Amino acid sequence: MTVAGRTSEAAPEGASEGASEAASGTAGTGRVVPRAGLLVGGVVLLVAVAVVSIGVGARPVSPTEVVRALLDYRGTDDHVIVRDVRAPRALLAIAVGAALAVAGALIQTLARNPLAEPGILGVTAGAGFAITLGSGLGFAAGQAGQLGCAIAGSVLAALLVAAVGRRSPLRLVLTGVALTAVLSGVALGMRLMLPDTFDVYRFWSVGSLAAREQAPLALPLAAIAVALLGALLLSRALNALALGETVAHTLGAGVGRVRAVALVLITVLSGAATAVAGPILFVGLIVPHLVRRPAAGSVPWLILHSMVLGPILLLVADMGSRVLLPTGEVPVAVVTAFLGGPMLIWAVRRYGAGSL
Amino acid sequence: MSLRRSSGLVGVVALALALTGCGSSDSKSDSSGKGGTRVFAADNGKIKIPADPKRVVATGYAVPVMIEADAPLVGISSWKRGEPMMSKKDLATYKKLPKVAGEQARETNYEAVAEAKPDLIVIGVPAPVLGDIDVKRLESIAPVVAIGPTVPSAWRELSHKQADAAGALKQFDSVKAKYEAKAAKLAKKYKNVLPQIKMGHVGAYGESAKGTFQREFGRSWGTNVAEDVGAKYYGEVKKKGPGSRAVSEYPSLEELPESLGKADAITYSVNPDGSVPEPVKYVMDSKLWKNLPAVKAGKTFPIRYTEAATYGSAMQTLDAIDESFAPLLKR
Repeated sequence: MTVAGRTSEAAPEGASEGASEAASGTAGTGRVVPRAGLLVGGVVLLVAVAVVSIGVGARPVSPTEVVRALLDYRGTDDHVIVRDVRAPRALLAIAVGAALAVAGALIQTLARNPLAEPGILGVTAGAGFAITLGSGLGFAAGQAGQLGCAIAGSVLAALLVAAVGRRSPLRLVLTGVALTAVLSGVALGMRLMLPDTFDVYRFWSVGSLAAREQAPLALPLAAIAVALLGALLLSRALNALALGETVAHTLGAGVGRVRAVALVLITVLSGAATAVAGPILFVGLIVPHLVRRPAAGSVPWLILHSMVLGPILLLVADMGSRVLLPTGEVPVAVVTAFLGGPMLIWAVRRYGAGSL
Repeated sequence: MSLRRSSGLVGVVALALALTGCGSSDSKSDSSGKGGTRVFAADNGKIKIPADPKRVVATGYAVPVMIEADAPLVGISSWKRGEPMMSKKDLATYKKLPKVAGEQARETNYEAVAEAKPDLIVIGVPAPVLGDIDVKRLESIAPVVAIGPTVPSAWRELSHKQADAAGALKQFDSVKAKYEAKAAKLAKKYKNVLPQIKMGHVGAYGESAKGTFQREFGRSWGTNVAEDVGAKYYGEVKKKGPGSRAVSEYPSLEELPESLGKADAITYSVNPDGSVPEPVKYVMDSKLWKNLPAVKAGKTFPIRYTEAATYGSAMQTLDAIDESFAPLLKR
């Protein structure tokens, strides 16, 4: 869900502190230690959840076999399941979770709107439109075809929104909403006329991490890794932008350049994540809310914490998706929404909905 | 048309069956012959129909049956999924006949049906899907009998019933006899090989995007014609449901070794052109597939035309099975 919201120049709570940190290059030790402690704790939890997720699935595999499969691969059925099915899936959950969470943190900072999420740039609608069009034209057969269509659609949509709405956060939000409406409407019309296309789309449209182990994932995962690094490098400059354009100009930040780079990063992160897993919208919305408090107004810490909590959330949701039904799976996007809704309400009630 | 493309429709049918517990109708028709009519037992009740219909409209699964049986058709629904399995003559008839409905039951064109002036309408869709059709409106045009699919192997009884309703049993029985003779000949040909082999089947209606595969057991789409030749498919679904869910299931790919590990040989569905559909390819590209004893032994057999639901189309399935199983005779 996207809502055009506050775009005033007033500095939100906590942002001035982050900005002063950015300006001075220092931070209060008392704040940094809990943040760093939380981050380290989060990383430990992430590793633990990832290991557990490799042990959970339709076929019971003992913890000993899981360890053996990772350290002493023999090619047995259990080892194949661990190494070739579950481990790639866990890696994908980590990458997609981090990508969506960081993209969410970036777009909320950039749009200065706490309800913004990566889909605001039309990425999801663009990917869905491309899948529909590609399927209708016969390009989206198979995982590789769908991956290519989704990447092309999400990038083109985001570029269009960024080109039209780059001048102000409000314009960006409105352009994204408008393009999403147009693409969704046209794609829906096509799907109603083409039952086979509808058939392809309905499975893609519910985000899932299942069965991606055979898809060509190297390029999207590499793109996510590079974009995550880019987000960290850009985060200090975003601290100033979070205060509003006037203040950012005063602090000497190159507003246009920072915004353009941020838009590119959001596009790459959410586009790649959507391409490989389909739409999983809640992660990009909920995670920045959950880590806002520990980040205490600092964009770099917000991004770092998002980078850790996003994967944890997605790994937990993915484990749930595997065990909730006696046979088959619940798509992870459904589980994420189921978990994310109450968490978002809790976070907003507990900490408020202020943006950075 | 690929098998994959029709998976959605089959899924809808299976889901609809599962939701309503639709079963097969009583296949025994009650002929009274009074005033040129008879009472016919169908999914929608006991219907008074003409004893010798002259103008028949057929939809859904009834379309290929009626064409094959030379029923006096004046209108049909679109039935693209059956086109690859029709003979040249039947395909020409199919293309020539006026289309009074689309692929989906809800795409029925009532005015076109009325314009065809039928004296009998045979609807070949599952009973739950009848809700998408304004049956009362159709009944105002002509008597309506609904004879829809149930367990995949039941196409034999259902097609007989559909042809019976249309008064076209003569040609139907002729094709049926040819099929049975051919199946018996092949059963004899493979009698020293097939009954001793424990077989499993991977179907093409699974959804690879979900990380699952379709495991078909006896009496399912991919297995029922092979069973007529003597193939023995082992195992059964973990939790039986109505319709096709009674004979096939969709386990996680992780369960492939457990599901097919005991099979001596594995058959799998392929498209009419021999290409491997995406859901089957997903399974075959997995290392778990390559670890299966039957795969290691090289005993895997593709089967084309697994969607056959008429005796004529099933003859093609028999040919495909014979072609695929031929290497077994050399071993």
